[in-house]
Amino acid sequence: MQKANAIEVNNITKRFGSVTAVDSVSFNVSEGEFFGFLGPNGAGKTTLIRMLTTLLKPTSGSAIVACCDVARQPDAVRREIGVVPQAMTSDLDLTGYENMDIYGRFYGIPMKERKERISYLLEMVGLTNRANDLVAAYSGGMRRRLEIARVLVHRPRMLFLDEPTIGLDPQSRHVVWDFLRKLRDGDSITIFLTTHYMEEAEALCERVAIIDSGRIIAIGSPNELKSQIPGKDIITLAIGNLSENIINAIKGLPFVHKINIEDNIVRVYVDSGAHNLPALIDAVRSAGGNVTSATIHEQSLEDVFIHYTGKTIREEEAKKVSFLTGAGVPLKWGR
Amino acid sequence: MGRLLAVIERDLRKFQRNPVVAAMSVLMPILYLVILGNSFQGKLKDLPIVVIDHDSGPYSRRVIENLRAIESGQKIFSIMYLKDQKMALDGVRDGLYKAAVIIPHDFSKRVSIKKTPEIGLFVDNTDGISSEAIRNSIEGAIRSIRQEHVSIREKQDEIYLRGIDLYAKVDYYQSLVPGVVIMAIFLGTLTTGVFNLVMDRFLGIDESYLLTPLSKSHIVGGLIISGLSITTIIAALVLTVSMLMTGIPLSKGFEQCAAIFLVVTLTTLSLLSLMFVILGRVNHPRIVGILSGFLNVILFFPSGAVYPIASFPDWLKAFAKVNPEAYAVDALKAILFKGANILTILEDIAFLFIFTFAMTTIAIITFKRTL
Ligand SMILES: Nc1ncnc2c1ncn2[C@@H]1O[C@H](COP(=O)(O)OP(=O)(O)OP(=O)(O)O)[C@@H](O)[C@H]1O
Ligand SMILES: [Mg+2]
Repeated sequence: MQKANAIEVNNITKRFGSVTAVDSVSFNVSEGEFFGFLGPNGAGKTTLIRMLTTLLKPTSGSAIVACCDVARQPDAVRREIGVVPQAMTSDLDLTGYENMDIYGRFYGIPMKERKERISYLLEMVGLTNRANDLVAAYSGGMRRRLEIARVLVHRPRMLFLDEPTIGLDPQSRHVVWDFLRKLRDGDSITIFLTTHYMEEAEALCERVAIIDSGRIIAIGSPNELKSQIPGKDIITLAIGNLSENIINAIKGLPFVHKINIEDNIVRVYVDSGAHNLPALIDAVRSAGGNVTSATIHEQSLEDVFIHYTGKTIREEEAKKVSFLTGAGVPLKWGR
Repeated sequence: MGRLLAVIERDLRKFQRNPVVAAMSVLMPILYLVILGNSFQGKLKDLPIVVIDHDSGPYSRRVIENLRAIESGQKIFSIMYLKDQKMALDGVRDGLYKAAVIIPHDFSKRVSIKKTPEIGLFVDNTDGISSEAIRNSIEGAIRSIRQEHVSIREKQDEIYLRGIDLYAKVDYYQSLVPGVVIMAIFLGTLTTGVFNLVMDRFLGIDESYLLTPLSKSHIVGGLIISGLSITTIIAALVLTVSMLMTGIPLSKGFEQCAAIFLVVTLTTLSLLSLMFVILGRVNHPRIVGILSGFLNVILFFPSGAVYPIASFPDWLKAFAKVNPEAYAVDALKAILFKGANILTILEDIAFLFIFTFAMTTIAIITFKRTL
C-alpha cells in the first residue's frame, strides 16, 4: 500500500548572495516515516530545514509540508508541525513549565488540555521534578529534552529536529533516541531529522538522504545505501612510507574492490576483513610498505559518504563551541 | 486574544526575573532630575512677549523704547503689540506668549503727579528659566525711568513693577519634572518593547516563536503592550517621587490624575512604536546601545523640557513639531502647573494618538516574519 506523502520537495534552492546553500534538492517523505538528512558542517541541512518550516523563503523551487505549500500558506504549515531548531531556543528566564505553557498558548490550546499534555510530556522526558526550576539552571541535555517536549504540546503531525543530539553525552543521546522512537511508534508522527552523526542516522532513520555542498548525493534506507558500496568490510591501514608502488600492489590483490587514500591512510574495501587482512599486510610488506596500524570495520553510512565524496565527515570541535553559544544564527544587520 | 496575552505574559515574566533593571529604570531618571536641576544654564533669546499700552503717554513710550532696545540688543524677547488685554492674556495662557506687559491708562499721569505708577506683568511662570529672564530684563527696562525720578523727585514716586504670576509659583527645579518623567518613559521604552525582540534575535530565541502560528500583530502588539505596562508603572513612580522631591502638590484631583495617566500612556505608546519602526529589524543589542544615546538627545533636548522651544532656531522648531516628546512635555506642564484638563490638551493628545497609530501600523507592516 502506497502511503501518502508528508513532505514533497521540488527542486528547492536557497542562495545567500554567491553561496548556494541548498542546490535544487528534491525528495519525498511518506506519512509516518522516520527520515534523516545526513551531512557535514555547512552542507545546507539547517537552511533546508528552515525552508521546510517556513522560516526562510526558498530562492526557487517549492515544498509541500503536511498539508500545504510552505511559501504560500506558511501559517497552515506552522499549525501542523513541531520544530526543534539547531540552536537552543527556550527562555532561560522562564521555568521549564512556563516555557511549555506559553508555547502551548501560542497555539491557542485550551488550559485544561494544555495542563494535561504538559505534565504528560514532562513525564516522558523525565523533567517532572525540575519543571518549576528556571531553564537557566538546566544542563544542556535537560534543556534539549525540554525543547523537544515543548514542540509536542500542540500534537503536531510532523516533527522536525535539526541536529537534536549535538553536544549531548552518549547517555543523554540515547535518552533522546528512545524518546524519538517512542514518538514514531506510539504517536505515528512523521519525523524529519538532520544530523552529522552516522550512528544516529543508522540507529533511527528508515530512510536517509546524504547531503553535501547543498546537493543530495545519495538517498535510501541505510542498508540500501550501504549495498551501493563494493564489499562488506573496510580495512583501514596507516602506512608510514606510502608510495605509488605500494598502492598498485594493494589494487592488484583479487579480493580488493576499491581503495580510497587520504594522506597516509588507505581504506580498502573487501568482502571479509578478518580473512583478507593477513594477505593484505603481506602484500604491503613485500612492496616495501611499513604498516603502522590496521583496523577492520563493517561498512557504515560514513563509508557511503566517503564513497560518494572521497572525504570523511569530520566532527569539528568548533561545532560544539557554536552549539553552546547558539549555533546557526547568522550575525548580520537585519535579516 | 489568548495568543496576544501569552506574548505579553512571556515578556512580563522575563522582566520580573530581572529586578535590577526595574530598579535602575526608576532611579536613573531621578538622578537626572538632581543633575539637570543643578547644572543646566543657558542664554535665552526670542521669547515672545506682548505689550498692551493703554496709556500712549510720554512715559509709556519711554518704557516701550527701553523694551525695544532690549529686543534689538540682547534679543531676549521679541515684542508683539496688542490693544486687547483679554486677547493678550489668553495668548499667554495658550502659550502663544511667554509674558504680557500691561501699561495702564493712567501710567504717565501717575508718574508726573508722583503717585506710585504701576506696570502689570503677566508671566507664564510654568517655564522657570524664561519667566525669570523676562522678569529681570523688564525690570531693567523700567529702572532707568525709575532712577530719573529718584534723582529728580522723591523716593516714593518710583515706578513699581507689580509682577502677577498667572499660576502658582513654579521654580526651576519643579519645571524640570515633566522632562524627568519623559526621560523615565524614554528609558522604559528603550529597555522593553522592541529591545526584547532584538535580544531574542541576538540569542537566536526568536526562531522558537517565529515557528508558531503567531501573527505579526500578535508579536509586535504583545511586545508593545508589555512595554506599556512596565513603562507606565515606572513613569508613575518617577512622577510621584519627583513631585515629592520638588514640592509640587500631589492633590490634583481625579480629572487631572486621569489626564496625566492618559498623557503618560500615549507618550509611552508613541515611543514604543517609534522604537519598533527604528529597531524592528536590528539583531544586535550594540546597535540599540549606539542609537539610544542619539535618540535620547534628538528627542529629549528639542522637547522643551529644559529649554523653551520658542528660543530654538526655525529648523529645530520644525523638528519639535513632529517630536512626540515635545507634545508630551507641553501636555504634562499644562496639567501639572496650569491645572489643565483633558480638553485643554486635546491637541497634544490628538497628535500622540495619531503618531502611535501610524508608527504601530508601520511597525507591523515592516516586521519580518521570517529569519
Ligand atoms: N543567513 C546566512 N547568510 C549567508 N550564508 C548563510 C546563511 N545561512 C547559511 N549560510 C551558508 O549556507 C551554507 C549552509 O549552511 P547551513 O547552516 O545550512 O549548514 P548546516 O548543514 O546546517 O551546517 P552545520 O552542520 O554546521 O549546522 C553555509 O555555507 C553557510 O555559510
Ligand atoms: Mg545546521
